[in-house]
Amino acid sequence: MEPQTPKDTSDYYKHLSLFWTDIIHLMSSKPQALASVGPMRAFASNAKKISTELIEINESLMGFNQFVTEYYKQLAETWNVAQKKVNLKVPDVPHDVEQIDSLKRVWIDIFDNDFTELFDSVKFGENYGKLVSKELELTKHWNNISNVILQSANLPSKEEIDEIYKELHSLKKRVTKLEIELKKVNKK
Amino acid sequence: MKSESKIDPRILEEILKFSRNVIDAPKLVSAPDEISMEVTPHDIVQEIDKTRLLHYRSLTEKQHKTPLLISYALINRYHILDIQQEKSWVRNLLLQGFDVYMLDWGSPTSMDKYLDFDDYVNGYLDSSVEFIKNESSSEKISLQGYCTGATIATAYITLHPESVKNYVATAPVIDGWRDTTVISNLARHMDVDKMVETIGNMPPEFMYYCFSVLKPFEQGIEKYVNFFKNIDNKKFVDSFIRVEKWLGDTPPIPGELFKQWIKDIYQDNLLIQNKMYVGGSHIDLKKINMPMFTQVAVGDHLLSPECSMPLHYAVGSEDKTLRMYPTGHVGMIASSLSQTKVLPELGKWLAERS
Repeated sequence: MEPQTPKDTSDYYKHLSLFWTDIIHLMSSKPQALASVGPMRAFASNAKKISTELIEINESLMGFNQFVTEYYKQLAETWNVAQKKVNLKVPDVPHDVEQIDSLKRVWIDIFDNDFTELFDSVKFGENYGKLVSKELELTKHWNNISNVILQSANLPSKEEIDEIYKELHSLKKRVTKLEIELKKVNKK
Repeated sequence: MKSESKIDPRILEEILKFSRNVIDAPKLVSAPDEISMEVTPHDIVQEIDKTRLLHYRSLTEKQHKTPLLISYALINRYHILDIQQEKSWVRNLLLQGFDVYMLDWGSPTSMDKYLDFDDYVNGYLDSSVEFIKNESSSEKISLQGYCTGATIATAYITLHPESVKNYVATAPVIDGWRDTTVISNLARHMDVDKMVETIGNMPPEFMYYCFSVLKPFEQGIEKYVNFFKNIDNKKFVDSFIRVEKWLGDTPPIPGELFKQWIKDIYQDNLLIQNKMYVGGSHIDLKKINMPMFTQVAVGDHLLSPECSMPLHYAVGSEDKTLRMYPTGHVGMIASSLSQTKVLPELGKWLAERS
């Protein structure tokens, strides 16, 4: 089926990549894998995971570009409006120190007000929230790729380290509670 | 045809002077890294995980009986309360005869990402209060919370009212829906679950970004122009560099704590509605019945006064005072106004009850 939309295109390439990595993995001769205990031991499945992540990164990147464009568009529009206001208030080119100082004051006040108004607005908040969300998706894919590389080098993944942190945190809490109980018993 | 434009020669003079100041700046001013932020002598009396309990050395012969513990904010470090001798909040209180302790939350690392409100309220803050009670042989202490540190302190006193004699809430973050600042707008639209799941702790760069969008041109341009203009003014530049160093020193915020913080305070606004839970315990502001002193800065652009003031009306205390000051968030704690007005009023109120 021919891809019609960007989503179809992305799905098509994802399928193509998965198909060939799977087929190559199945077709590859096992004796060479048998001898490998190093980072290449799971090359085919690792390559598959990484290519899937790279394809998905592309999708997230499209979303990110959309929101980052809107972000800079909002900044540029606010800048233009603020500059027009400054031009209306200070039509002449300043000629002395006092005039320059007052121009600077007017410029800063108008720009600070207009930009604060923008940052306070719902449209900025919503777009910024989505922009950060897309950036996090990119980070997530990057983390997943790093995990594949870490595991191929026999190192713990981020999730495995997080599990240890969680366990440590819970153990610390239990120890603290026990210490408090012990203190109470000793007081009695 | 001759040009009619007349340019004031003072403009050129100003430009030349400003350029000279920029060139001379490194000779006249220390780099932020070369400055020690420890001003008032103190001892580290307790360390738990990354946190440290500081006990400031007394500056008077006689001291008030009840010790005071300061719970500093989670953003930036406690140094702003002791930024330099003549503007030091801590030193002023010591000179007024108070026995002052400070809880330094430290700099959390990746392994601290699961620390939550419960750890801060019932762990670190409670351990500090218990330590001070034992050390000073006092049954109760006075507690001051600043900014987000006041939110933690407020939760603490509702759960442990028996340990606190007086409560001072300085610019407390309480009613998130009433906060009209840029920070609250960004916080309301944040997918905080995804953020914490993906990156763990809240990175300092992100916090720094959030604060840099507050008055961006005043803070990003004018401030530095003034710095170079006043490069010969030793007092001014010393204060400037110290505050800048403090501003740039933002530790990460533990992920779980940040998540609960954004959700419970800014998105769902549970604290002021008496719907918040910490470590499974209900936070009921009506349970606060000790004397309480609330300090609010009218010109606060980091935190709307409307976000702090509701605490005064929500608590059950009969002996309560609300003071409003014509200054900003930092000005309230580290300025000449804080030394001449804010601290004397606080000291008088606290001395009568200590």
